[in-house]
Amino acid sequence: MTRAEAFSEREVAMCTVAHLIEDGRTYWAAGGGTPLYAVLLGQKLYAPDAQYVTEDGVISPEPLLPFEPMMTMVASRAVHHALQWGTMNSAGVHAQLGHMDYGVLNTLQVDQHGNINSTFLGEYGGSGRRFGGPGGADTIAACCWRTILITDQDRRKFVKQVDFISSPGFLDGTPGARERAGLPRDTGPWRVVTPWAMYDYSERRLRLIARVPWVSVEEILAECEWKPLVASEVQVLEPPTEEELQLLRTELDVRGQTTDAAGGWITWDGEQYVRA
Amino acid sequence: MTAPSAPRKLSILREGTSQYLAVDPDGFRAHIRDNKQRALKSRLMTAKEAVERFVSDGDYLTYECNYLMRGPNEVVHEIIRQGKKRLWAAGKFTYVDVALLVDAGCVSRADCGFFLSAPPIDRALKEGRLEVFEYSNVIMTLRLQAGAMGVPFLPVRSFGGTDGFDHSGAKLITDPYTGDPITIVPALNPDVAVIHAHQADVFGNARIFGTGVSDVESALASKKVIISAEEIVETAEIRRNPGATSIPYYAVDAVVHSPYGSYPGTCPGYYGSDPEGVFEVFRAIMSDQVQPYLDKWIRPFETFEQMLDERVGKPKLEAMRARETAREGYSA
Repeated sequence: MTRAEAFSEREVAMCTVAHLIEDGRTYWAAGGGTPLYAVLLGQKLYAPDAQYVTEDGVISPEPLLPFEPMMTMVASRAVHHALQWGTMNSAGVHAQLGHMDYGVLNTLQVDQHGNINSTFLGEYGGSGRRFGGPGGADTIAACCWRTILITDQDRRKFVKQVDFISSPGFLDGTPGARERAGLPRDTGPWRVVTPWAMYDYSERRLRLIARVPWVSVEEILAECEWKPLVASEVQVLEPPTEEELQLLRTELDVRGQTTDAAGGWITWDGEQYVRA
Repeated sequence: MTAPSAPRKLSILREGTSQYLAVDPDGFRAHIRDNKQRALKSRLMTAKEAVERFVSDGDYLTYECNYLMRGPNEVVHEIIRQGKKRLWAAGKFTYVDVALLVDAGCVSRADCGFFLSAPPIDRALKEGRLEVFEYSNVIMTLRLQAGAMGVPFLPVRSFGGTDGFDHSGAKLITDPYTGDPITIVPALNPDVAVIHAHQADVFGNARIFGTGVSDVESALASKKVIISAEEIVETAEIRRNPGATSIPYYAVDAVVHSPYGSYPGTCPGYYGSDPEGVFEVFRAIMSDQVQPYLDKWIRPFETFEQMLDERVGKPKLEAMRARETAREGYSA
């Protein structure tokens, strides 16, 4: 594997998630886009026995890549050679039954307890801005055993309390809050991955556990609206490899829709990685 | 195990406060008894006739899949062409349909599972032309499942704890069996469902191949059901493989023969999407240019077929069909 020399920030997040994908586990990837690409990247490079489902109830397909634009569900290439074709209710019910080990989601806004907002920025019903709604993410966050959330490291997105809980994290953070709301026992947020960092949860609060080599802990904390817990030893994440980027760019995100080419880029200057 | 000797107290712990479509399972049964055709009589008609007869102003509308993926686009175009008003849409698993129908003046209320928010939605909200009620994709399809079972509500394991819950018709109750908190959601029995199938006979026995969202649930849960189908097949063909029937005729009110009826989207196994058409509708929504889109693709035409002939053309349609090479599993 070869360390890559130029990549976008969102590519970093997808590659980081790919390393979390394990053999012998089931993954429910929200929508298309980033979560699905991250799961496919992990499955193809590191965990060939990782299985995934999508919202239209497709189980373990062998998709014909690349997808056509927007066609990551229902379309024949996306659902190709699955083990079963289902429906949204079959996917939802299988998650209720406990068949989904991990959910992989992305979002607009996340808070200290891992609650997710994809509905409304600002005071609900006020002059703020409406977004698409939870889609499948609410059920993924409620019913998968563990959830992995992908988002940007930006203090407007990394907030103390989300403006609107579209999909549940640890709710108010008190022990048993999810169960009191009728959610299945022993489920909940597990990791948050951004282009700069990875977090787990300690006592149901976000904790910084790893960073990329080109960003300091202080820079990360400056992009959080509140101060998250910081692990006593913050690990350093591996940068993307050429193999990962090759796959991502030629088979998965071939149109650059999720790589945010207009956003931040990282390059190797011969001695170190620098943010362009 | 024996039942507990003391009866458990049933209590409502928390309630959503939003408006939801009234729940009335016996009213639904009576509607079915009084309106559904039990005889094997042809329901074949044009999209124009189907929408005139079965979509009324003020109806609750559910469409299946969406404009890009096996959507009932011929019927959706006809709803827009006929200028239906005050519809309440089940906005699940949706990119553009809600924005199109809102900007066309057809939809004024929407239950949200997911629909792309965009300038036409923002404007409608700001001007008070649209009300949105909050659910999720799976909660919407489980509500349809309850509606399709003839029961008034369904317990669900998601949705509790969210702010969507507070802006919905859900309730958190004490489960009378376990004593634990459980969310219940109101059954959804739409006035009308529009569904695009791969094949149907003239009576409405329909076959859908591949994956989907909630085709069967919507068909069974809705008072009026319009099926559009790529192919009209003989009933003998349906009888040859009854296990392949997705929707039975007695749930169906209208059958519309609708080849390429999901254009510009895909009908999996039959034809791929038209990427140019997909980008165009996205661009129209995101740049707030829905009216020019409607003026180009819908309003000038008498029928969807005329639009396909004059605006898309046979070579492009044939190319979409040729490009759809993954065909395994899309036949009975």
